[in-house]
Amino acid sequence: MTIAVIMLTLAGLIFFFATTVGILRFPDFFSRMHAAGKGDTLSSLLMLLPLALYNFHEFDLANMLVALKVLLIAVFIFMASPTATHAILDAGYEAGIKPWTKKPEEESP
Amino acid sequence: MIWQLDFCVLTLIVICAFATIMVKDLLSAAIIFGAYSFLMCLLWTEMGAVDVAFTEASVGAGVSTVLFFAAVYQTTRRVGVRKSGRMLSKAFALVAALLTGLVLVIAEADFPGFGDIFTPASLHVSPYYITQTLHDTNVPNMVTSVLADYRGFDTMFETAVIFTAGLAVIAILRRFKKEDRCDLPEPYVISAGYPDTIIRFVARQLVPFIQLFALYVVAHGHHSPGGGFQGGVILGASFILLAISYDFKVVLGIMSERWNVLLGNIGVLIYAGIGFLCLLLGANFLDYSMLSKILPATDKIMARSHGMLGIEIGVAIAVMAIVISIYLNIVSHGKYDKGL
Repeated sequence: MTIAVIMLTLAGLIFFFATTVGILRFPDFFSRMHAAGKGDTLSSLLMLLPLALYNFHEFDLANMLVALKVLLIAVFIFMASPTATHAILDAGYEAGIKPWTKKPEEESP
Repeated sequence: MIWQLDFCVLTLIVICAFATIMVKDLLSAAIIFGAYSFLMCLLWTEMGAVDVAFTEASVGAGVSTVLFFAAVYQTTRRVGVRKSGRMLSKAFALVAALLTGLVLVIAEADFPGFGDIFTPASLHVSPYYITQTLHDTNVPNMVTSVLADYRGFDTMFETAVIFTAGLAVIAILRRFKKEDRCDLPEPYVISAGYPDTIIRFVARQLVPFIQLFALYVVAHGHHSPGGGFQGGVILGASFILLAISYDFKVVLGIMSERWNVLLGNIGVLIYAGIGFLCLLLGANFLDYSMLSKILPATDKIMARSHGMLGIEIGVAIAVMAIVISIYLNIVSHGKYDKGL
């Protein structure tokens, strides 16, 4: 059990690190949001799952309830985080941000 | 208390505070201020003040950021830059700030250390609350009982302060006549205005859960962190979510302006009314134990618990109405016609 908790937390940390690198290093707004939205959602889920698991060291009703609440948080993050990413991306698209391409731009926007 | 964690959080708080002042873009400043509030929330949690952390998370990081956004949306993103060198006034401001800081640092030396058990408050007042709350009021969460019962008078006027703030916003911003008294630039067009199905669908699914959670926070404040303020703010935030994801008019359809102001009044009146009810029953103002005369099947201790629940509900209603009304006024520029 402890090993599973440690492994999941480590995986979450790795994904969080990748997300941060992605936000910092990707070339434009859309790809940065891609990193932020996907990485954030998955890594917070990976961090919350071990939290729920960790509560089962002593198996009783109270711990079960806490674990259930943690899982509920995970569900809501899974719903809300991609939607927020979508909303930001949509606003950026409508504001007329040009996606990055490999071709060098001739005229400045 | 883990001092390494404290140190990291405090450093980030100071950085955020500086960044909020230095950043020229007001929208960025609002976002950084939200991060600052969230770090404060972490710090409160670290110090064991979970109720305060909850309030900070819902009010500071949540609703006030949205209110800042609404204000920026209606005014401008840019800070007015003064070019002329007013060195004298700047130097004067620096000296004033440094002097005030110096006085505060000197005064801080007189405060007891954090968690010092030999201060008068820790020796006499706190032990009473810690040991006697459950016995006196049958409420396990002593923060709730201190706020709503032992210090009920203070909390009543805190509610009144929030109500007054809402009234002030309405008095300043609300405009009933058609013509503009002052011309502000048109707000930015953030969205082309076509309905976004994904956002609307998810918001529609989430709002009932948010409101249910808010009611849980209000009702469960006796046993866990939370209470009227936090629950009311979350309720108000759910309406703001509706207003942002759908339309301004949807919220007005659910909760018209008349109802909104009326609910703000009703909330404060519930609080004060319960106090007066105690007065009528022959006890002191806000002494809930006398409510056992009219509440069926309660003794004096349980009556205090129920009285607290009553005033928490009043606080929640007032705070919810005021949060919604402040948001609607700011975002529609007081005209209630269109908004974010």
